Amino acid sequence: MLLDAKAPATLGAVVEAVTRLSTFSEAQILELVSAGKIKDLFPFKPASDQAIPDDTVAEEDLVEASAAPLNRKQRAALIQSSMPSTATSSSERRGVAKAATAPKIHRSLSKK
Amino acid sequence: MASRSLRRFVRFAPSKTDKHRRVDVRVTDMTASDALWWDARLGPKHTRLASRADRFWSWSALLPMCHLVQLAKRRFCRPLVIWARADNGRFLRTGMSIVIEEYPYLDVEHRASSNFVWFISAADADVLSADFGMSHVPALGRVLLDDAIVLSQNAGLAGRIGLHAAAAGGAALLNVYARCGLINLPAGAEMPPEVRRKNDGRFFYADENQAETLARMLDPSR
Repeated sequence: MLLDAKAPATLGAVVEAVTRLSTFSEAQILELVSAGKIKDLFPFKPASDQAIPDDTVAEEDLVEASAAPLNRKQRAALIQSSMPSTATSSSERRGVAKAATAPKIHRSLSKK
Repeated sequence: MASRSLRRFVRFAPSKTDKHRRVDVRVTDMTASDALWWDARLGPKHTRLASRADRFWSWSALLPMCHLVQLAKRRFCRPLVIWARADNGRFLRTGMSIVIEEYPYLDVEHRASSNFVWFISAADADVLSADFGMSHVPALGRVLLDDAIVLSQNAGLAGRIGLHAAAAGGAALLNVYARCGLINLPAGAEMPPEVRRKNDGRFFYADENQAETLARMLDPSR
């Protein structure tokens, strides 16, 4: 079963994949991924209709990452931003760390 | 006690072809769109390069997978993107990394936590110059490791980091990490029990002193 971003799989399938992966060491996962076996381990299929972002971005549109430890909200925003979303613009760079402190941007990151 | 100022990420890196030339680089948090771009624009080109350890990596799958697996282990990942200035003056993605925070330190003689550099990748220089208009591709090996050291220092882990060199990178990858100043954990050395992996001689780490030495070398570029 593929974990399709546009038709999310059951929670059980996600939990099963993550639970299985959690039994491996990080070095083992690295080796399996490097051997091209990630699809066997984590059958995630990103949506095929996602727009590919532009190759280059103007400096003023880049939001530099904080080198400080993230707080709980910032971590949550970072994890959420790892999932493909139709709400994500192809040309806009959102600062994840800032997202958790800037309510307007955070709302857009949280949009379903 | 006065709080210690945080070290910043580097903002310049030497050109791979002209060590006297500095290339502007910037670090951002990695999102799904970065992973999508990398997989779509660089992935197919990297797949053809048999010597690359990351030739089969799919960042679009790696990114959510790493977060979820580490959450299951009550840890967090910090995925980062390194951008570099192209000839048109704009910035292009040139490096990707996923760092695990508060991972067991590989040197069991000193029970502590460190950051673990799980996945790390720099775009192929020839591809960047031929297909993306970048005449001066930055040398990113030390920069990618420095990001993990800086995060470790700023999180109170004294700069300690560890990593495992993928077997697909062969001896060449071991040489890269050694040249970057990391310490190779001897093949017979004991591993922290939480790592649950036999020591294959491909683990590297930086202790507090080595991390500080490496970070200071790049301080003029921050």
